[in-house]
Amino acid sequence: MGRLRQKGKAGAAKAYVTRSAAVKRLQCSLADFRRLCILKGIFPREPRNRKRANKGSSAPTNFYYAKDIAYLAHEPVLKKLREHKAFAKKLARALGRGEWSSAKSLEDNKPVYRLDHIIKERYPTFIDAVRDIDDALCMIFLFASLPSDSKVSPSLIENCARLAAEWQLYIMHTHALRKVFLSIKGVYYQAEVFDQTVTWLVPYQFTQNIPSDVDVRVMLTFLELYQTLLGFVFFKLYTDAGLVYPPPLDTKKDESAAGVGAFSLQEVQHTAGPEPASKAKTLDADGKRVSSKDVRQTIKSISATVVDDVDVDMPNVDSTSEEADEDFVAQPSRSNPQETAALPTLQALNSIPQSTSTKLFSPYTFWLSRETSRPIFEFLVRSYGGRIGWPATSGSGSPFEEDDESITHVIIDRPLVVKDNETEEERERRQRRKYVQPQWVVDCINAGKVLLEEPYAQGKTLPPHLSPFEDRAGAYDPTLGLGAQDVSMEDEEESEVEDVSEPEEDAEEEAARPEKAALKAAAAAEDAAALRAAELEAEAAGVDFGTFEKTAQKARKKAKSSETPAVDESEQDMNKMLMSNKQRKLFERMKHGEKKRAAEVSSSGKCDCASLIIFRSDKTSKKRNEL
Amino acid sequence: MAGPRVNGNSKKRKAATEEHAQPEETVFSHNVGLEMQSEDEGSEGDESDNGEVDEFPEIDPRSDSEADEEYPGDSAEDEEEDEDKDDEEDEEEESEDQSEDDDISDDDLHIFPKAKTVTSDITGQLKRVFPPIEPDYDSDSSTEEAPNRVGNIPMHWYDELPHVGYDINGRKVLRPARGDELDKFLETIEDPNSWTSAFDKKAQADKPLTAEELDLIRRLQENEIPDAQYDPYEPTIEWFTGKGKEEIMPLSGAPEPKRRWVPSIWEKQKVMKIVRAIRQGRILPNKPKTASDKAQFYAIWNEEPSAHPAPLPAPKPRLPTHAASYNPPEEYLPTEEERKRWEETEKEDREQNFLPQKYSALRLVPAYNQFIQERFSRQLDLYLAPRIQRTKLQIDPNSLIPKLPSPNSLRPFPVYKSLSVLHAKTRVRSVSVSPDGAWVVSGDESGNVSLWEVIVGKEVKRWKFDGKVGALEWCPRTDVVFFVVATEERLHFVIPPNLPAPVLFATQAVLSPANLPPAPATPSPVKWTSVSAASSSSEKPILTIDLPPSSGLPKQIAWHRKGDYLSTISSGEGQGGVWIHQISRRHSQAPFKKVKGAVQLVLFHPTKPHFFVATQRYVRIYNLAEQKLLKTLQAGIRWISSMDVHPLGDHLIVGGYDRKLCWFDLELSDKPYKILRYHSRAVRSVHFHPTYPLFASSSDDGSIQIFHARVYNDLMTDPLIVPLKILRGHQVNEGLGVLQIKWVPRQPWLVSAGADGNVAVWCS
Repeated sequence: MGRLRQKGKAGAAKAYVTRSAAVKRLQCSLADFRRLCILKGIFPREPRNRKRANKGSSAPTNFYYAKDIAYLAHEPVLKKLREHKAFAKKLARALGRGEWSSAKSLEDNKPVYRLDHIIKERYPTFIDAVRDIDDALCMIFLFASLPSDSKVSPSLIENCARLAAEWQLYIMHTHALRKVFLSIKGVYYQAEVFDQTVTWLVPYQFTQNIPSDVDVRVMLTFLELYQTLLGFVFFKLYTDAGLVYPPPLDTKKDESAAGVGAFSLQEVQHTAGPEPASKAKTLDADGKRVSSKDVRQTIKSISATVVDDVDVDMPNVDSTSEEADEDFVAQPSRSNPQETAALPTLQALNSIPQSTSTKLFSPYTFWLSRETSRPIFEFLVRSYGGRIGWPATSGSGSPFEEDDESITHVIIDRPLVVKDNETEEERERRQRRKYVQPQWVVDCINAGKVLLEEPYAQGKTLPPHLSPFEDRAGAYDPTLGLGAQDVSMEDEEESEVEDVSEPEEDAEEEAARPEKAALKAAAAAEDAAALRAAELEAEAAGVDFGTFEKTAQKARKKAKSSETPAVDESEQDMNKMLMSNKQRKLFERMKHGEKKRAAEVSSSGKCDCASLIIFRSDKTSKKRNEL
Repeated sequence: MAGPRVNGNSKKRKAATEEHAQPEETVFSHNVGLEMQSEDEGSEGDESDNGEVDEFPEIDPRSDSEADEEYPGDSAEDEEEDEDKDDEEDEEEESEDQSEDDDISDDDLHIFPKAKTVTSDITGQLKRVFPPIEPDYDSDSSTEEAPNRVGNIPMHWYDELPHVGYDINGRKVLRPARGDELDKFLETIEDPNSWTSAFDKKAQADKPLTAEELDLIRRLQENEIPDAQYDPYEPTIEWFTGKGKEEIMPLSGAPEPKRRWVPSIWEKQKVMKIVRAIRQGRILPNKPKTASDKAQFYAIWNEEPSAHPAPLPAPKPRLPTHAASYNPPEEYLPTEEERKRWEETEKEDREQNFLPQKYSALRLVPAYNQFIQERFSRQLDLYLAPRIQRTKLQIDPNSLIPKLPSPNSLRPFPVYKSLSVLHAKTRVRSVSVSPDGAWVVSGDESGNVSLWEVIVGKEVKRWKFDGKVGALEWCPRTDVVFFVVATEERLHFVIPPNLPAPVLFATQAVLSPANLPPAPATPSPVKWTSVSAASSSSEKPILTIDLPPSSGLPKQIAWHRKGDYLSTISSGEGQGGVWIHQISRRHSQAPFKKVKGAVQLVLFHPTKPHFFVATQRYVRIYNLAEQKLLKTLQAGIRWISSMDVHPLGDHLIVGGYDRKLCWFDLELSDKPYKILRYHSRAVRSVHFHPTYPLFASSSDDGSIQIFHARVYNDLMTDPLIVPLKILRGHQVNEGLGVLQIKWVPRQPWLVSAGADGNVAVWCS
């Protein structure tokens, strides 16, 4: 017999601590503990056996890993929090005694913690950080739109707005936006940055107030972390793109509500010498210093910015980057052609299919009507390479006026009114331009091509706006019924090449369709009379007898084989008797899930055969589970 | 030095003046203590006494004089001063006092009693003689004014009495006359001084307050210093500082130390250290604030990442579906009832946290009012919710089903119902197949026992017994042919008709031998009665065993393999349940003196002298030769209904009323090797086929389940159990289905008896 083991000395009792025990161990207040947990990303764990972890008590508590807490005990931020507590006491005493000068010097030397090490710790690599900025972006965009009050300082909101603008600028610059969704909650954007999909939600432009049931302190702590995280991420993104971070802000423009336009992207000046921060290797080529960062950046720009960039804010940027491109592409071919040739092509291969769609709007110039949201559509159009202008009521900084000749599309969101006193010029201009509702822009982006403007024209009832995120295999697809319409939505300009082949295909399809139907009937026919009828039908449709016979036989075989599985099934049902309890439960759970999914698919199957009208009124197909 | 000294002066001075102030202070302290806090203030009594509330707090007018009495330590001069001041007051009090003592006159108020001037007897000179002082407590209180000498007691003790206390001479001080409430009220109206008077508890009357007391009250009300004489702003008197008061002579004659006039090197060094640090920029006197305020960003990811793996990223929130669109397809919009259901469900239980809505234009979309709450709940999830890592099973659920050989490869087994024999309207409880597999006897609840052929189902003979047939069983011997029918407290041994003569003789010889074996020494409660072989016929049972009275209907008959022993279980209570009957010796014995629990079933082991006894929950295995318990099997069944042992004797199946069937490997464990639960109602009967690797179970759900059960000889291989077929065909009657099943020996056929009165034969 081994040594007697004392209870609570090993195993779950040792590995987990409750929250109150953790607070006691760290000797800090609960608020400080919460702050630490948020900053360090420590969250409760679910022990396999709660009772064992809580030393026999089954009281409802949260458990943390004891090691997490031991790790927290050495956290510099915790030290700073303790210092801050002492500082607060000293300050209160100084103020109470009226010792203003000492209070001031105390205030000057207030302990402030930094989160750099935490960022590095939580996100050891840059990819980790990019993967996790979703929540950070959502928060930043939310706070950028909040009014300031006693709890939320104006400087904080300003900083959030700045970070939000910097992110948008980066996305516009790199054309990284992939999907957009106008939901009732706000606008969802999805971008691809460093091969990571980043999704963020931006509320519509309304003043929101923080409700009373929300703990602002928690949100502010998160915001603190997110600001730091985004600062570092943006720094890296900008420097990798060869831009200066932070981008200089034109206060005058900002005051006149230029929004994103108030910032100007600046190319890093390399002649000034290598930055001390970047210890990347540099090589001397053609008397010009080329750092690895430049290499990366140029590789990126080859794939993304081949076409002339129409971004109004940085004409100089593009020109310089293109120069760099030429330099770079020419130079490696001299030194080591094979190695470097492989490098950009890999990237280019990835991005070539996108390069067309990321420049979707480059041939067009948009004018925003007054009632549409400028921040949304400026961001969308510019990140897809289009030019956009807006009336002065939506803020300053519009690159052109409304009577500009180059405007091709007007994004307008108001009902159609017939204007009587229209001048000739105005009418002519109106006919030249296309008036579309805002959804058109978003649907174009999600479709990856420029759609027909007709269904989205001003005053028209819009087709449903679908989520671009629902592409799960086997999920219910509401567009199935709209299939024919979808094809016709293709823009003529875009599919000029396809147009040639399309009519033929269509004709073929048309021809094939009755045949198929007939064959289907043959397959479905069971008894002799039905078979005969199907045969006649097939003949009428022009199917030769051989094919008909074949399908009929196939169908018969199928029917037979579907009979034998029935036997199999009963056998399997019997075999289920010998499953253990655990296995049976698991099996039943899996079957339940399968059934649920099948119900969804069957509903979509219903849509398959249903015409558009039936599909629209079909209320039964709504059973779906959000996954 | 000046400061403290001045303070010291003032202190001293204060001490000096304190003496003057003393009297007032005493007054103050006692007067302050007058009221309210005294617990001796009779709570209820007082209130009832003076129901009217004065504007002033009730004041205990044991004024200064009384205080003095209580604190005799006060200095004499205090008294004197007091005296002087309160002269008139005293007089007033005196006049008011009704039971005033005559002895106490004005003169007595002086502390120093009057001296008499007498001529000394000795010197002849005049001398002053003071009266002797009696050194008792009251000796010093000649000034005492208060007539009531009851002391500091709760005055409500006197509530019921006509007096309020006693004066110094022990005479009663009568209660002053007090008017009713109306009088009191009129008094307050008429008497202009009434509002400055307070109730004197001792005297039980209102006494006007003195001017000093009023002044004191006013001062307290106005937060002034209560002592009117105290001047907080009197000028400091410089005793030791100032012009002309300097100390001319030094206190010490030591020479002035050098440090007084030479600058300190240490100080200089320390200062220089700081100066140097400032010059070198190590200390910034005023740090530029903006630099530290603003977060500095740098290329944090340029260094090599640490070897630690990154913490697991938080799960991302779900991406929005079509339903969240501002302009969703029509079918996503909730119907009225869906909307209602959504509104009624708790916020946490909702499948979606929003109701899909359709807007015809983007400009009509309002702000989402739950936006901040949702962000907040996401953050709560991030830092407050335990995360569990779940591995998602990517397996085909069908792969969980055990792969078993196909039933088709395990033929033969019964597949269809070939025939059925009907017993009229009664449940057929028991059925038995002859060892040669040609005949079946079945007995029903109305006492009918019918004998019929397996192949054609033709009834050959029918017997009628009194009462129900609890069980019947063929004798397993092949050289003799008979079967046993159990009715109420009785076992009937019946020889079927049309036997060949040798077999018949043999059977008769076994059941009613010509010379009976000697009767046992001790009289047994079980009686064996037999008809002689000559007079016996197939109509009547040749042998009858009378079980002890009130043992009830035997539930089961179990034969030993050799056919000499049979065991019966009676449904009656008590030990009399289990009997083992030996036919050759015509002797019955009860093997168990005492059995734990009610015995449900018994079985003989096919090869060994072992005996299985199933009680309600356990199966016990006894060695009959050694007469001891071998094993207790725990089936985990609530109530065992049926049991059978494999012909090889190493495996046992046990069925229960709680729908379970347990397979025991007797070599392996006391616990079941497999527990199967497939019947939807109670398992009624289980049976192993004697030769084929088959077993079957029947249930109250009216179905019979056939299994293939292959048992391997080597110990390593587990027995193979394959479900083969579910036979349905019996009706469920009053909750009872198939009551008993029996395999036909030598054939893969099954005979089943149902509660619907049918006995069916199932053939392969």
